[in-house]
Amino acid sequence: MNELLRTYGRGLTSVFVLLTALWVLGLIVVPQLRMIERAFIVDKRGDEAALVATDIERAYARMFSVDQELLRGGAPAAPSAPSPFAPSPSARSPFAPSPSASGAGGGPAGTDAGRVAALEAEKAELARRIAELEAREAEIKSAGSPGYALGNFTGMSRIHAWIFVSTLFYALCVTVLSFVACYPVAYAVATARTGERLALMMLGLVIPYAINELLRIFSWVMILEKQGILNGVLDALGVIDMGAGEGVRFVASNGAVFVVMVYAYILFMVFPIYNTIETLDRNQIEAARDLGASTWRIHWRVVLPHAKPGIAVGAVMTFMLSAGSIAAPEIVGRGLHPDWFSQVIYRRFFESSNWNQGSAYALVLLVACVVFVMAVMKLFRVGIRDIAK
Amino acid sequence: MSAPSATSASPTPASTGRDWSETVLNVYLVVFFAYLFLPLMLMVAAAFNASPTPSVTDWQGFTLEWFRRLPQDQRFVQGLVHSLIIAAGVIVIALPLGLSGALVLTRLQSRATTSLYTVLVSPILTPGIVLGVTTMIFWRDSFGVEAGLFTAAVAQASFIASYCMLMFMARLQRQDRALEEAALDLGASPLLVFRRITLPFLMPTVITAAFISFLQSIENYNTTFFAIGSSWTLVTEIGSRMRFGLSPTVNAIGVLFVALTVVAAVVWVGARRREMARRVAG
Amino acid sequence: MHGNDVALTGVSMRFGDFTAVHPTDLVIRAGEFFSILGPSGCGKTTILRMISGFLDPSSGDIAIGGRSMNGIGPNRRPTALIFQNLALFPLMPVWENVAFGLEARGVKPAERRRRAEELLALVALDGQGHKKPTELSGGQRQRVAVARALAVEPAVLLLDEPLSALDLKLRQHMRAELKDIQRRTGVTFIYITHDQGEALTMSDRIAVMNAGRVEQVGTGDEIYDAPASPFVATFVGEQNAFQGRVAAVAGGIAAVDTALGRLQGRAGDGVAAGDAALLFVRPERVALTGAGDAGGANRIDAEVERRDLEGSFVNLFLRAGQHRIAVHLTNAGAGRDTVAGRHRVGFAPADALVMKAGEVARE
Repeated sequence: MNELLRTYGRGLTSVFVLLTALWVLGLIVVPQLRMIERAFIVDKRGDEAALVATDIERAYARMFSVDQELLRGGAPAAPSAPSPFAPSPSARSPFAPSPSASGAGGGPAGTDAGRVAALEAEKAELARRIAELEAREAEIKSAGSPGYALGNFTGMSRIHAWIFVSTLFYALCVTVLSFVACYPVAYAVATARTGERLALMMLGLVIPYAINELLRIFSWVMILEKQGILNGVLDALGVIDMGAGEGVRFVASNGAVFVVMVYAYILFMVFPIYNTIETLDRNQIEAARDLGASTWRIHWRVVLPHAKPGIAVGAVMTFMLSAGSIAAPEIVGRGLHPDWFSQVIYRRFFESSNWNQGSAYALVLLVACVVFVMAVMKLFRVGIRDIAK
Repeated sequence: MSAPSATSASPTPASTGRDWSETVLNVYLVVFFAYLFLPLMLMVAAAFNASPTPSVTDWQGFTLEWFRRLPQDQRFVQGLVHSLIIAAGVIVIALPLGLSGALVLTRLQSRATTSLYTVLVSPILTPGIVLGVTTMIFWRDSFGVEAGLFTAAVAQASFIASYCMLMFMARLQRQDRALEEAALDLGASPLLVFRRITLPFLMPTVITAAFISFLQSIENYNTTFFAIGSSWTLVTEIGSRMRFGLSPTVNAIGVLFVALTVVAAVVWVGARRREMARRVAG
Repeated sequence: MHGNDVALTGVSMRFGDFTAVHPTDLVIRAGEFFSILGPSGCGKTTILRMISGFLDPSSGDIAIGGRSMNGIGPNRRPTALIFQNLALFPLMPVWENVAFGLEARGVKPAERRRRAEELLALVALDGQGHKKPTELSGGQRQRVAVARALAVEPAVLLLDEPLSALDLKLRQHMRAELKDIQRRTGVTFIYITHDQGEALTMSDRIAVMNAGRVEQVGTGDEIYDAPASPFVATFVGEQNAFQGRVAAVAGGIAAVDTALGRLQGRAGDGVAAGDAALLFVRPERVALTGAGDAGGANRIDAEVERRDLEGSFVNLFLRAGQHRIAVHLTNAGAGRDTVAGRHRVGFAPADALVMKAGEVARE
């Protein structure tokens, strides 16, 4: 701190420290804490509260149109677009009745007086119902947050737990496969003999890497889908007959998602490993070879140990991207295969509005990634400073 | 650059073994690069196919129709605008934060340095889902701000600032502290030192960081997807199209992206080669 | 110019358990060329950084012109520092470098430029102002650094081994130049070096430091002829050193029993009979006693081991028992052959110094 103050003075130093604190707290720590907090608040009543709220809304809407009718002396309202003054049935709510529909209920037949009486009765009934519903709502609200509980976690269904484990397993497989596939490539690029060869290979790696992951995923969907290329090839080979409607729906399986994921994230291994191998003194390899070491031994004893930090970084990135990938499972055969964990989280947030449960699941994913990172750091004996580029 | 090692002409057992493993490696490389490029080329080809669903097998004639449709596609155009707005926001947020973090970490001499470093680097190691979700929750719960362009920018900034910080730290490591001391010694106020000595030194990195931040922001999917709420960016829109119904306009945009990427990649690799050559010569 | 003494009172510097500078009192007089001489790690750079304000002393006070510098930052002290690697601003042309201190004081650009050009002329660099530092030679960069420091009209100019990176010829040239600039401007120079030749040539006074302590402060002659400790005696110039025990002290002369017999020399402070002692005599004070030698104290028989011809002088190395004796002779025409073989060497007791045994400078 002293050196900061000495060089930049009180004013600037406080600016820098403030911005850093803002970053740490406002963008990293507090949001995480909020999510963690939510993860431990069980909101089972959330669904019920939502239903009750909708019912109340509905009742008010009906009540209003009844009032309108009464004002007109019992004559039903002219069929028209829903009144702009109706207590807002939100655009999304499928329950909003249109006044014209409700007006039709009474029917144009019947005397005005009889109609009025019926309406009055309905109004009284509605009022009673509303009071009941609102009392229920207050009850739910005042029950308040039941405090922190593990409900969101323990309530995770066996299916979801299974999905979680299998997602992690697939991510691990992607990581390992990527390593096996990329290591030779990284080695070849790092030990390229001519500048042209190096540049060409670099280009060959940078272009696919820089292309957006969505496009990488989509290109494989084109290959795997029913009208896709793979089927086209099989058709041409006579294995299947597309004309007759045969065609394997490759996309409709977890295996397809896995294959696409490998393709999408394979290159995240190459560059970190390349960077570390590049710093290896070429002479060490030559010396080893000179001493009669076999290729296998050279790699195992000379190159791999040197590449450890790069492998660690690559493994962490690949695993994290695979485990948390939402694009791959969503784009590859949407709805045709079981959900992956990222999709489970998505549905919790955006389809069933159960943010707390979603938070819990996201927290579980986060913990899994943190555990993985720490395990990799331990295994490869690298520190946090090596992980960052 | 080490001199190319000569492969011996006469086939001794060791060198035959070496040639064999080299051949295998070369074959593997060919296969690998084919594996990388083939799908992309197929996707590019489909953009020119008149078939209403993206396909290469069902060729219905060459066309540029899908490209023509792009500028008319309001969602894409709006999405691009949103992406640019978010990218601008990200640069404005991430650069100062990254710089501050780098300066504090470089100058701080305390046992807390590693911990602080870990915290500031953690967003890179956090899944995009978590970044998006936490940002969304935080701003809704604490400030009542709904998910949208703002939360997307903030969520992206949290990890893009980390990359900026790393770039600034690398640059600061190479700084000659004596320069700042000399300036102080000559009577400069700390503000003058920063303005005339430190900032000019960091300027190349500022530009690089801004550029990289821009790119990373534009093409980000996971984090943005979870923080954008009901709004959209060009990339999330592309994702939606891919999920909900296929149309070759997606391929057309893909071709544009690929073309831009190829150009940028060629430039980048070329620049690196020139830099390496300069370093060897100089 | 500015007559400001620099006074260090009880100044010390500790880093954890390690004491870089022991409590030190030092007064550097206004307008003098003062050197701090010592081996690497002796603490001289630490003292420099404390005076310039980049390091806060663990204890003690530093005052310039009677004004305490406690708590005053480096940018508000009347000092200017010339760094070992010069630290010229690479992105600015030379004139902007020189004018930087003026810029910091809010001087207008036109005026700044004018004064910068003036100073560049002072250091014989006129017309070079538009160049970048990387386009200049080592010696030229040195002068830019000096001009830059002088631009802020400091009371004290601090120089941190500025010539160590230069080759011999340039170094000698720059020594003369720096001395000249100091004389003309009258600014107090505090000069850090490990090169005793430099210190002796340039300085009005020298402080010799070792392991965080100032062992002696004095003029070059005082340091050379009357060293206060074995370290100073051996660090500055060449010495022949004989170990022994003091047999007697009388009339300012101490007699020391050594492996080569009884030797006599001037008794240093506090030397008493029975002390373990070192007797020092400079090689140039040892002579080959010829045939006509009348005899006397301090006569040693030795065998010539090696003769190094250095041009205008000759260094002879003789061996007597376990001892190696160095003799420094002017090449006054004594032929090569006359010097080989056994010889008797001798020196006057007044030319030798006896001191209590203590730490000596490492080779």
